[in-house]
Amino acid sequence: MSFTHLHVASAFSAHYGVSWPKDLVSAALADGADALAITDRDGLYGSVKHLKACIGHGIDPILGVDLAILEPPPHPAPHGKPPPMRIAGRIIALAKGHSNGAGYAALCHLVTAAHQTTTPAGVAKPSVGITREELATHALGPDGEALLTILLGPGSDIGLATGHRHYTQARTLLRTWRSLLGASALRVEITTHLNSPGEKLSTAHAIRMLRCATDVGIAPVLTNAVRYADPDGAATADVLDSARALSSLETLNDIQPNGQGWLKPAEHMHHLATEIARSASNTSLAATLLRNTAALADWARLDPIPDTGWSIPVVPEAHIIGITGNPENELASRAEAGITRLIPAQANDPLMRHRLEAELSTIADLGFAPYFLTVAEVSSMITRLGIRSAARGSGASSLVNYLIGISQVNPLAHDLLFERFLSRDRATLPDIDIDVESARRHEIYREIFERFGSERVSLMSMQNSYRARGAVRDAGAALGMEEEDIDTIAKQLWRFSASSFREALEEKPELAPFADRLGTEKQLDLLVDLTERLDRLPRHISMHPCGVILSDAHLRDRTPVEPSGISLPMSQFDKHDMDPMGMLKLDVLGVRMQSAITYALEEIQRLHPDAQAVAKAGGHRGEAPGEIPDYIGPNGAIDLALVPLDDEPTFELIRSTHTLGCFQIESPGQRELIGKLAPREFNDLIIDISLFRPGPMKSNMVKPYLENRHGFAPEKYPHPNLAPALAETHGVTVFHEQVLRIFDVMTGCGLAQADVYRRLLGNPHAEPAVEALFRSRALGRDYSLDVIDEVWHTLAAFGSFGFCKAHGAAFAVPTYHSAWLKAHHPEAFLAGIWEHDPGMYPKRLLVAEARRMGIAILPLDINRSSPGYKVEKLDGLLPPAQLPVVPRAAGAAPPGRYGIRLSLRGIRSVSEREVLRVAAGQPYDSIADVRARSGLGRTSLNHFAALGAFDSLQARTGRGNRADLIEHLRAPAGRALPQRYRPIPGQLALPLGDLDLANMAIGAAQTPLDEVVRTELDLMSIDVTAHLMESRAPLLRSLGVSHSADLLGMRNGTEVLVAGVRVATQTPPMRGGRRVVFISVDDGTGCVDATFFHEAQQRCGPLLFSTRLLLIHGLTRRTGPRGIGLQALDAWDLSEKSTLPDPGHLSDPARARNGSFGSSAARPVREAERSLAARMAAEDLDTRGYLGA
Amino acid sequence: MGIFTQSIEVDCTPAGVPIRMRWQGREYRLAAEPVRWFERRNWWTEELRAERGRGPGLVDYEVWQLQVKLAGVGPLRTFEVSRQADTGRWRIIRMPEAYRESA
Repeated sequence: MSFTHLHVASAFSAHYGVSWPKDLVSAALADGADALAITDRDGLYGSVKHLKACIGHGIDPILGVDLAILEPPPHPAPHGKPPPMRIAGRIIALAKGHSNGAGYAALCHLVTAAHQTTTPAGVAKPSVGITREELATHALGPDGEALLTILLGPGSDIGLATGHRHYTQARTLLRTWRSLLGASALRVEITTHLNSPGEKLSTAHAIRMLRCATDVGIAPVLTNAVRYADPDGAATADVLDSARALSSLETLNDIQPNGQGWLKPAEHMHHLATEIARSASNTSLAATLLRNTAALADWARLDPIPDTGWSIPVVPEAHIIGITGNPENELASRAEAGITRLIPAQANDPLMRHRLEAELSTIADLGFAPYFLTVAEVSSMITRLGIRSAARGSGASSLVNYLIGISQVNPLAHDLLFERFLSRDRATLPDIDIDVESARRHEIYREIFERFGSERVSLMSMQNSYRARGAVRDAGAALGMEEEDIDTIAKQLWRFSASSFREALEEKPELAPFADRLGTEKQLDLLVDLTERLDRLPRHISMHPCGVILSDAHLRDRTPVEPSGISLPMSQFDKHDMDPMGMLKLDVLGVRMQSAITYALEEIQRLHPDAQAVAKAGGHRGEAPGEIPDYIGPNGAIDLALVPLDDEPTFELIRSTHTLGCFQIESPGQRELIGKLAPREFNDLIIDISLFRPGPMKSNMVKPYLENRHGFAPEKYPHPNLAPALAETHGVTVFHEQVLRIFDVMTGCGLAQADVYRRLLGNPHAEPAVEALFRSRALGRDYSLDVIDEVWHTLAAFGSFGFCKAHGAAFAVPTYHSAWLKAHHPEAFLAGIWEHDPGMYPKRLLVAEARRMGIAILPLDINRSSPGYKVEKLDGLLPPAQLPVVPRAAGAAPPGRYGIRLSLRGIRSVSEREVLRVAAGQPYDSIADVRARSGLGRTSLNHFAALGAFDSLQARTGRGNRADLIEHLRAPAGRALPQRYRPIPGQLALPLGDLDLANMAIGAAQTPLDEVVRTELDLMSIDVTAHLMESRAPLLRSLGVSHSADLLGMRNGTEVLVAGVRVATQTPPMRGGRRVVFISVDDGTGCVDATFFHEAQQRCGPLLFSTRLLLIHGLTRRTGPRGIGLQALDAWDLSEKSTLPDPGHLSDPARARNGSFGSSAARPVREAERSLAARMAAEDLDTRGYLGA
Repeated sequence: MGIFTQSIEVDCTPAGVPIRMRWQGREYRLAAEPVRWFERRNWWTEELRAERGRGPGLVDYEVWQLQVKLAGVGPLRTFEVSRQADTGRWRIIRMPEAYRESA
């Protein structure tokens, strides 16, 4: 007995389906099925996963889609615009199998058509769907044979009509369908969910459908309209129904009638057929139904390779990438040209020649030459647009990539292995990622569409899934809970998957208040259960942040596309679908740092228009005194690619740990690691970046590396043969490349095979086989058991975590460049950072950094501010009150000469149009002039005044203060001049002086400082005039709070109170599983990085993630020669005055102590000081390379 | 219609289709094909938990409409019965005639 389900929605039917394709396939397989369909709503989102699961289990996949039918309203308006379409039920379309892809292509085109925003006739659609006529054009092939079969089920127009007992209408509709599609492309879908007799999806409903089918002569088939793999999924489907309708379960109209929409076994389905036949008083119908269903299933069974192009890589046609001859020869000759251009000196280097030959022959064997040429084409296209770009990832391991201009890293110089990128043992298309300026990413996308033709290109999509917060919100809404209540709970959820909600409730202190309510408030237990049910279910798709699919002219036959947020077509497939479908995906990543760097370079050139001036301002020195380095062009343009990677002032800046704003090394943890590692050369940066990863952190690689590096412990190698591979990291395994070499050295397997083994590490099914092979081969090569044990232990711990050195090298380049700019051109660098906001910190923290750098922040000014942040030369010399903390390159312009002018952008409720118009109208000579020409709306005008943008105009007339002007502008404005009286361009205004200011009432009190700051925070989210904490200074003084800047001078383990604004919260991965929370607060003198271990988290509970202004009690903790942090013991919300401790808290015997949660509070403080370091090491809480203070 | 939760005994075929029932000490035989359906429960108000893996019976329950005659000869009576998922015991949930009789 068998049965094939032909109507199955998977979890990829957002807010509808419950089960993952692989689970549905497993369930079908367990019941002995040899085929299964997937028919997701509105798309083929789950199709590739379904194909994969079916192929993996050896059953036949069937693909289809569930679409809404759109029709014009019954009585069209007599004239004027066509009236909006309405939805007339939903249908299922199944693709014909064994048709060399014709059926699947028709399905793709149908889905693409359904997502167009208008019909072919240009009528707007209310939602995704297709008209009957358009459906027919896709369903039937050129000679009228069916490529798609359409199922009309209980949800179709026929089903709705029979549901309402409109029998004549149902028959008329079905006849219309038949005349449109013919009987061979049509089936009536008979479904019963055994709902109460007579209701929709009841057996009676099924019988009405059956009679209608018989009368009109359309074959009926049986389905179960599946939404979940087993009955357990029914409750989840209820919640999804509720989320889809934005209604609580209680008030929901469109809820499924009962829980029978599961993937019922063949036996159940046969029973249903019998039950339907018996109720219809025609027992032979059961066999007919089952026979028809099986026949349709056979028609639709796909042969994945010929039908869908499964696993066959496709690249753009040769003529598109501009080659006529053999692509392999073309690639070789381009590489040759690269040698002449980039490394002429090594043209005859045998090592280089050997490497190049090996790479080219691998590429030729895999047939990937067109792929490389395609990527090279995109790469050179980006360069032609004048956009900064850099290849990232393992692509940097390839010499060919370097020579043909895809990557900027010479792999031979950094000892990178090609096998990590591509080998004969792995035939999937390699990944090449290109980092570009974020601000110009979309421009590149459009250019790629233009260049390759839109039929060959599509954006990639990604599935957005339920995470804890979204899940708890939708679960709460389903239960009809108060929005405010849900919100409170949702805000406390922090980085854990919803599936472990109940577990998290027991462990996480910030959830304690909520956990206490469980069991007492009835709905909360349900809330937890439903949240867990929703976990990870897809919600909607959106544009992937960087993926572009490049293919040949038949791309649209193999993937449906839909409009994306930026109006370019987007595939319904995500990154996991690319390899299986043989699609070439290029990651064009927008990197804000690249934009920030570009901006900084432009500012440098604007301020210092020739090479001499740039060299003077940046303290750049060539070989000989007075010589201009060759990386500075005559017009002052700096070519970063030519800047040497060994600049000492840059490394001094990095070692100072004042690296806020620098790519990759600005986080608290990284600043700590940088402080300990003290990088001296570029390779140190590669290692630093590679160490600061979950893998190395978890497997405790950092500490031994640092100890060996600084000579505290002797370097150890498991075997002398491994020394060459491990020397650069002092015996510690950090890089993938090293793992490959270890495998190769000890087993002789070759580097390509080694990469295959490396990929299997950490895979519980495959790792044992790798271990067995490693051990036996290594034994065979006379390595001792001890050595084998030790090395295997390292490899296993390394898992698949470690880092590819090529990634590290590619990442380290912008890290070095940003630090270089910060050391030599701090003002321009900071302006770039503000303009493009690339980092993890809010802008306001960088205001404090600017102060520490000796850079003035210049207020908003109607005449001097531009749309962007601009560096301005200060009049006269205004040295800062104290020398800046952040080091600058010796010889660079001294601090105090430049400031950064706040931009017109980034002010609340001021539109981009206003910004551009203000800038176009500069300069303004009076308030009246601003009113007349700037185009600022009333609100914007008031905001500008409140921020002091008109202070300079006011200073000219010498009347009144900022408060007077605000008051003045609040009064109703005079009407703007009618068009004909306005000055024409070029006409000079009558010099009447500023009538506004001359007539304004004055005498208001000066605006107090804290109000100015509050206004700045409110309108610009930065506090410029004074730090946010300044107004709380008296309170903080009375509590005895220390400043961040003073901590560095304190002994390790000093007990202090600090206060500040939260700027960052992180919960990095830690060995041992116990969570550590890092909270950075800024107090105006700098950042304090506070570490909350388990006990402190217990004390602080809900404060951990939700409080903005914090008072923290803790112990100072040396993290390196230049670094100090805080081990937090307790914390308070500064804005809750009543909960704050009393002055003298630090000598209060009842205060929190280290390691003394509760009873042992009387332990002396010295004890805590001494135990701190040891305790953290002992508990493995600090695996960031603790060295001992 | 009256709503009952009285217990009742029902004998079924191996396929789970009822064939006869005992109620108040008397045996009733089916006089027509039994009809079954699944009725929704408002589990979000009736239940305290809805955890994953709970299995069937949360969202709906199976109802059989049995048309029976006492000892196969009495007047036709209709019972709507349901088997409890957890205990396997049968309960009467509706007796349409009871309502008519009492009206």
